[in-house]
Amino acid sequence: MIVAKQHKYSMFVAILALLTVVSPFLAASFGAANISASDIYHAMAEKLLISSASDHTSNITQRIVFELRLPRIVLAFVAGAGLALAGSVLQTVTRNPLADPYLFGISSGASFGAVMVFTILVEGMFSPSDVIALSNGQVSWWSWQNLLLPIGAFVGASLSVLLVLCLSGLGRAAQIERMLLSGVATSFLFGALTSLVLYFSSPQATASVLFWSLGSFAKANWAGVILPTIVVSLSLMIILLFKRQISALQAGDETAHTLGVSVAKLRMSMLLLCSLITAVLVATCGGIGFVGLMIPHCIRLLLPGRQPIIITAIVGGLFMVWIDVIARCILSHQELPVGIITAAIGSVFFLFILRHRR
Amino acid sequence: MTDTTTQPLALSVSQLSWTHDDCAILKNIQFDLPAKQMLGVIGPNGAGKSSLLRCLYRFILPSSGHISLFGQNIAQYSARQLATKIAVVQQDTPQFFEMNTRQLVAMGLTPHKGLLDSTTSKDNQLIDDAILQVGLATKAELQYSQLSGGEKQRALIARAIVQQPQLLILDEPTNHLDIHYQIQILQLVKSLGITVIASIHDLNLASAMCDNLVLLNQGELIANGSPSEVLTEDQISTVFKVCCEIEPHRQHGNPLISYFYHDANQIIVGH
Repeated sequence: MIVAKQHKYSMFVAILALLTVVSPFLAASFGAANISASDIYHAMAEKLLISSASDHTSNITQRIVFELRLPRIVLAFVAGAGLALAGSVLQTVTRNPLADPYLFGISSGASFGAVMVFTILVEGMFSPSDVIALSNGQVSWWSWQNLLLPIGAFVGASLSVLLVLCLSGLGRAAQIERMLLSGVATSFLFGALTSLVLYFSSPQATASVLFWSLGSFAKANWAGVILPTIVVSLSLMIILLFKRQISALQAGDETAHTLGVSVAKLRMSMLLLCSLITAVLVATCGGIGFVGLMIPHCIRLLLPGRQPIIITAIVGGLFMVWIDVIARCILSHQELPVGIITAAIGSVFFLFILRHRR
Repeated sequence: MTDTTTQPLALSVSQLSWTHDDCAILKNIQFDLPAKQMLGVIGPNGAGKSSLLRCLYRFILPSSGHISLFGQNIAQYSARQLATKIAVVQQDTPQFFEMNTRQLVAMGLTPHKGLLDSTTSKDNQLIDDAILQVGLATKAELQYSQLSGGEKQRALIARAIVQQPQLLILDEPTNHLDIHYQIQILQLVKSLGITVIASIHDLNLASAMCDNLVLLNQGELIANGSPSEVLTEDQISTVFKVCCEIEPHRQHGNPLISYFYHDANQIIVGH
């Protein structure tokens, strides 16, 4: 039985590795312009090896692949990985199998923060051309204008975490329903505040902000990919470092305490880390729900008894890349915001979990 | 009975009180425990047994008093240091996500590992040995939730063994177990050769297994000493409100308690 389990795990890892290698080529071939996977391979090979002699692919193909599709795929992967990580950590540290950045109100808090910053930028501090330059990635990623949105989102996300904790009272035994309801209430509150801000802001800002509420990778560019990649990679490393402590929390606060874990400190740090991941992703690609809920659950179903952090991140990333492909291709001449698709799949999944919970 | 002067003190509790929501749960508790001894904490429901144990492993902070562990004030230990000295076995571990027996036992490594330390082959050996020692070798890959009550308890003890403590605290380790497992668990714990504190409901079991007993009632320490000093007819009838007769056990010589029942009919209907 043990051998069979080990075999299943190895198979899973092998399939995942294969998917990770081929996904960028396949996923980049989908879209409005018809480019085959082999064209993409050649384009990548030429670009990476700088071999101008074998000029297989046209300049326009190269530009589509490198300036539009690849940054989009990288951003989708990073966002999916980040959300899956945040969901997995949230579920463990709150011992709540239904925890998710979206259901917990963190996403709506982050959206509110981002919207506040955005409307202030549009209404006051910048000229419209500055804002266009900003959203088109013509400003370097570390410039203060580009960091304002994530910072605003992080402040909003942290506020929502504090609110959920105050409302649900973590000191008591894990009250899953109570925490979930607190998350929903927080989500509504920040949603209402966001609507209020939009009501009093210009139509231009309102149109731009619709982007956040739906979630999309359409505006992905290389400059915009850097910050999320750094934040998600660093978070992954931190989570790996604290793997033992996080998993000790699963056995209850008292047991974790007897194993030498500073429970309150660890939980607060991990909640803030999840807020940071969510905030940066919301600021970059909007509120994408249910990925953090679904992926850790699927991993638990597929690989029971293991908590593979890196695999969770990779599966989250691949899932998002392919959901984005669906978003690009499901309607002709128009793409669907990716948040709509994840919410549609996620809500069905949510009902499935509720039905099967012991 | 046991010579307490040869061993240094593992634990010294003085004037320990804990008040919760204006209710005095522990009142002025005072006792010493020599190293390598097994101490039984006995008393009726709500006497403060679990609260006392929780103060000892610092899950709750006493309102006043002093606890010294191996000669050092318990407050001076860091969370990790304390976890390398004291391991705790609770009645059950809540399970939110699936975990197999081996993973549960491996959690005992947590206080010994820094952030960058990985699990070495020596650690794996330690885990395997602990699982073997508690007789769960064939169940190591089973989910913890699939184990029986006695097996779960043994898995938690294996986790405590991996934690390599100098003091093991068990909160009602024999609850919900049949007599076979009750004896097996306590003998297993005794065989570890470290200082043990266990809260135990069954007075005869406590008498047979423990070197010393602490008798609590309504948060106060009523008696502390060897089983024959603590388990007297007077003290048992005052604290537990039952009539009993005590004679030396034929095998180990410690008190053996026989209870009297007021109404024979009550026995027939199962009381």
